[in-house]
Amino acid sequence: MRCQRCQKEATIHLTEPIKGQRREFHLCQNCARKAGLSLPESPPDLALDAVLQSLITAHVGELVGELAERACPDCGIRFMEFRAGGRLGCPQDYRVFAAGLIPLIQRYHGATRHVGKAARRREDAGRRLRLRTRLRAAIAREDYEEAARLRDQLRPKDHQT
Amino acid sequence: MTLDDLTKSSGEWLRGTGPESDIVMCSRIRLARNLADFPFSNRANRGEKTEIEAHFRSAIDQAGLELTYIDVNGLGLLDRKFLVERQIISRELSDGEGPRGVAISSLENIAIMVNEEDHLRVQFMLSGFRLPEVWDAVNQLDDRLEEHLAYAFSPQLGYLTACPTNVGTGIRVGVMLHLPGLVQTKQIDKVFRALQKINLAVRGLYGEGSQASGDFYQISNQQTLGKAEPELIKILTDVVPQVLQYERAARQTLLNERRQHLHDQVSRAYGVLKTAQTITSEETMLLLSSVRMGIYLSLIDDLSIATVNELFLQTQPFFLQKLRGTELGAEERNVARASYLRSRLSNGRQAPRN
Repeated sequence: MRCQRCQKEATIHLTEPIKGQRREFHLCQNCARKAGLSLPESPPDLALDAVLQSLITAHVGELVGELAERACPDCGIRFMEFRAGGRLGCPQDYRVFAAGLIPLIQRYHGATRHVGKAARRREDAGRRLRLRTRLRAAIAREDYEEAARLRDQLRPKDHQT
Repeated sequence: MTLDDLTKSSGEWLRGTGPESDIVMCSRIRLARNLADFPFSNRANRGEKTEIEAHFRSAIDQAGLELTYIDVNGLGLLDRKFLVERQIISRELSDGEGPRGVAISSLENIAIMVNEEDHLRVQFMLSGFRLPEVWDAVNQLDDRLEEHLAYAFSPQLGYLTACPTNVGTGIRVGVMLHLPGLVQTKQIDKVFRALQKINLAVRGLYGEGSQASGDFYQISNQQTLGKAEPELIKILTDVVPQVLQYERAARQTLLNERRQHLHDQVSRAYGVLKTAQTITSEETMLLLSSVRMGIYLSLIDDLSIATVNELFLQTQPFFLQKLRGTELGAEERNVARASYLRSRLSNGRQAPRN
């Protein structure tokens, strides 16, 4: 992605609410400084988040368009938002954004494959997450019949935990 | 158990009883876990967070775990900060919003945070250097919870976490070390750099890097993926003894080369803590650090290590306010702190407990 002012590589990405609307800014380091944005520079030994942030930016800065704008069908987060905030929205994001996340994970952990303790397999794990997403969508489009049906499915039966 | 009861007791991990406890205050391991059926905490709405909390509370009941659940959302600022000072909850949980809480055991070895960055942060800690024991305990605890909860897990990436830096094992293996010798002989930065080279993180007592943290430093792993838990633990159990050796050598150097000066420093520190009428938190931490080292170097013989360990936490701003049951300004806190120190250090004995 290019800086909005000078067309250099943008490394600073901001989302700001302006008059009730979210506006995004993409700037390079220099233009961001000129615009008076103070860039956090934490001491190196405490900069875990900053390290992650720089990794995200270094890697995802090269990615344009499709991946940056891709949204998770379950939690709705866009890859851009993850890049800005450093937190994913739901477990499905690891699958949805695999193309962006795996290189990042490789760089941070030096590995991309889990070794060690494994959770027990549960056939229906994650099903409710999907149902809940559909429920939210149904309510948004005022499809109350569908919403009621989904609510029924979400009601705990076997799963009284 | 209520929050007020906590002011009259202290965690097991402060007792100074485990191996190497002259330097290793405590060993702790936390596991990041998320429920497969919910968005991560930062994307979950109020209702979902309430459900996550309910699932968890029902899981601890069904698992028969004897834990007290503290509803952090229902607590005022003073109580929340008090729990942070006590190392029971993180700043992030304290400053967060919406339904969230922590389940703790009576000895405070177990602390499970709910709706922090991840749905669950399962923590176990013990005094001294005992990481394998801590792992066994937290692993079992995790198993018992999982019987009643569906965790977000992928065969390739392991336990799925809100931040990709925790994915995989979701484990953070840490020790809290007291390193006054390395600080005074100015070797501490060298040690830190060496640790960072092998990918270990170093933080202060409350996660910050401030000098005012009584020479306490937490060392922990950063990598969570690609190595099994015992392997990640072994990195710490291999490296920490070397740090202990450096710290002991540094203390010995101070003793050999500057014995009189060191003895004087320790005695003065003890004297000020026992008699001051007003004292800041920073000065208290600095002096307690000297006193703690002095006990282990046999320069002080009438004070228990557990008392000193407790005082590091019990002279923090919010503990004092909790004890007094009211908000106190900085000046009033300094007076309250000095008074509390005098009462705890008179005769060098532990204050009576309920």
